[in-house]
Amino acid sequence: MLSKAPLRALVGLALSICALSATTASADATLDRIKARGTLTVGVILSGAPFGFIDPKTQEQKGFNLDIAKGLADDLGVKLETVTVTPPNRVQFLQQGKVDILIANMQYTEERAKVLGYVPTPYDRAGGAAVGRKDSGLKDWADLKGKTACVSQGSNYTQPLIEQYGAEVKALPSQPESLLALQGGNCDVAVHVGATVGLLLQDRPEEWKNYAILFPTELIPSDSVIWLRKGEADTTAALDASVKKLHSSGKLLEFAKTNRLLKTEFLQQEQKALSAAQ
Amino acid sequence: MMGAVLAKRGRSSHILRNGGFVALPLISLIWSLADPTLGRELLEWVPYLASGFMMNILIALSAMTLGTLVGVLFGILALAPFKLVRYPVAVYVQIFRNAPHLVLIFATTYIFPFEIMIFGTYLPFPDWVKAVIGLAIPASAYVAEITRGAILSIPTTQWEAAKGLGFSRNEALRWIILPQCLRRSLPPWMNVLASITMGTALASLVGVHELLHAATDASTAVRRLDFTVIAYLVVMTAFFTLCYPISHLTRRLEGRFNAV
Amino acid sequence: MPDFDVIDLFVSLTSRIGLNYEFLATGYEAQIWRDGFATTLYLILLLIPVSLVFGLFFAACLTSGRLWLSTPVRAFVELTRNTPTLVQLMFSFLVLNTFVSSLVGGTQNNPLSAFFWVVAVVGLHIAALHAEALRAGIEAVPAATVEAARAIGFSQLQVLRYVEVPLALRASLPAIVNNLINLVKLTTVGNAIAVSEITYASIMVWTQRDNVVSLMIVILLFFSLVNLIVARAGLWVERKLAVPGYGL
Repeated sequence: MLSKAPLRALVGLALSICALSATTASADATLDRIKARGTLTVGVILSGAPFGFIDPKTQEQKGFNLDIAKGLADDLGVKLETVTVTPPNRVQFLQQGKVDILIANMQYTEERAKVLGYVPTPYDRAGGAAVGRKDSGLKDWADLKGKTACVSQGSNYTQPLIEQYGAEVKALPSQPESLLALQGGNCDVAVHVGATVGLLLQDRPEEWKNYAILFPTELIPSDSVIWLRKGEADTTAALDASVKKLHSSGKLLEFAKTNRLLKTEFLQQEQKALSAAQ
Repeated sequence: MMGAVLAKRGRSSHILRNGGFVALPLISLIWSLADPTLGRELLEWVPYLASGFMMNILIALSAMTLGTLVGVLFGILALAPFKLVRYPVAVYVQIFRNAPHLVLIFATTYIFPFEIMIFGTYLPFPDWVKAVIGLAIPASAYVAEITRGAILSIPTTQWEAAKGLGFSRNEALRWIILPQCLRRSLPPWMNVLASITMGTALASLVGVHELLHAATDASTAVRRLDFTVIAYLVVMTAFFTLCYPISHLTRRLEGRFNAV
Repeated sequence: MPDFDVIDLFVSLTSRIGLNYEFLATGYEAQIWRDGFATTLYLILLLIPVSLVFGLFFAACLTSGRLWLSTPVRAFVELTRNTPTLVQLMFSFLVLNTFVSSLVGGTQNNPLSAFFWVVAVVGLHIAALHAEALRAGIEAVPAATVEAARAIGFSQLQVLRYVEVPLALRASLPAIVNNLINLVKLTTVGNAIAVSEITYASIMVWTQRDNVVSLMIVILLFFSLVNLIVARAGLWVERKLAVPGYGL
């Protein structure tokens, strides 16, 4: 009886799960649904200023990502609804249809483009910065061979850190845990989006006085794009037009300034290029 | 002499237990008072953290209600005279009693759709409900075991004795068997309650807005090391304040039932 | 390579019923996943003796009748039983670890890893549960038996070692086996602090691919199997140790 038990369970479980996944697979045109519902559901990440964080007084989400989401919803003429996502669950939430699009610190990579769709015009450019102790003696990404690097679970820095630089990667649930692990000495460096850690070091000089961004170059600097489910051409086109408008009107640059993004060269270039094209 | 020693031990541990009950909140309070800027930051976040903790309580209560209903049913079915009923229930209990809560929460969160269609209208299927199901599954498996054990623990002679006294089968079940089952299964049921309540913290890992998640949000926004420390202390305190009375009561009930 | 063919066959067979195990044919992810199983098993094998040794130690402290021994242990038992293990783990790894670092004069001198903290937090948590079970067992040893042992000249420690523990162990064995099953399940919290056990490894795979269901089925069956073995082994020990005519 006992040898049969697990087999039965497997079959039962597989059947019930197949039935469930069948119901999720039926995707409809996202744009129709956005229009029909009158809301754009955006998955945003709260990894800290400047991109996304909670204001204790109003308990509202604020940050660069949120401003972009608002800008897009306004342009489409719909209401905005945000869903907080974390690096380990953001792709699942998008695939499930829980969110329409992701503005969640996700840069373009070929791997991601295989499973997800994206808006071709980027809203920013970002790369990874390595925070570590000033006395660590690490000078370049290549020095990370055999060293421990903390990242967020689902981070796109995992693969280059392992495969290209031979670092040992520890992935924690989110950025604050990773930075605490760095302070506790559980990793040699923490690798996250440059703007967040840069602003953190600048705003909290006392707590972080022994730490610095160690390398002058950024890890795989790439375009931050809006991600959506694969094969939704109408939505992609509509959002692309909106993003271009945000660029050319100078709104994105404005968002970047109010949220204190440290590097705005890319946004300035894009604004010039796109407003000239019009 | 033994008695005196035992009595003394009992009293001191009683003081200690109640002391422990207030010590944790006290530490957090004193610390936040010692540094006024820290205290003010914390005070600002209290409503946000409280809303997170309400979610923990909501998830725990819903999961236990659902788990108990399903579990009692399965516990009775596990004793059914038909193999076709008994075996699937046994497999369910075997798999889900042994499955880590965290894995079940991951499973329900990522496998269930985010909305369900009922009679042509889309009903949202929020994350916290998925966490409720993720925790109700193991809860139902434990409760099924408890129910089965409780029914089996009543000697058959009691049924016979009740019959001899002129009780019908239903009357015997209602007045003699069930009260005993209930009494025997209350302490283990409360252990499940405590375990499920603490399991709600796992929902933070799938992004449900509960206390631990709220504390992470807060430390992300404040970005102060000492604030992060105290945020974790507050989380520990909140769970301790909720779970300690449950486990204390469980022990008292166990003691009383064993004595009778 | 025959090994590779088996994997290919498995991948194509499972894909027909809608399951996705394609990552098994890749180098890097398959390696992470296999290591995940190994790490989980290693954690379990390490944690069982750790929890038993500390459980015995805690039980001895609790029943010693000396306040300076029983008080701190009692406080720890209450704390660990009534707060979520995940929170304890996060607190230990992120906060206590930082304190340890500053105590030993800098993070570079701190030898404690995430793996250590999982073993410490989960091991001591289960030890506290063992201790409660053993304490109940020790208190259930008839006073007459203890008096008899004292009368033939056993010291308090000897009474504990030769009379109380052997009897208590038998009485509390079912509860201890139950705790060990919990131990197996608790190893999964390690993923929150990047210990590469099986759930962590699975997260690493499913964040890059969309195959949660496929991985979940394997994980659930794996834990069911491990716990079946633990429960069977517990029953075997119980039968082996049973004293004819006593208690059970």
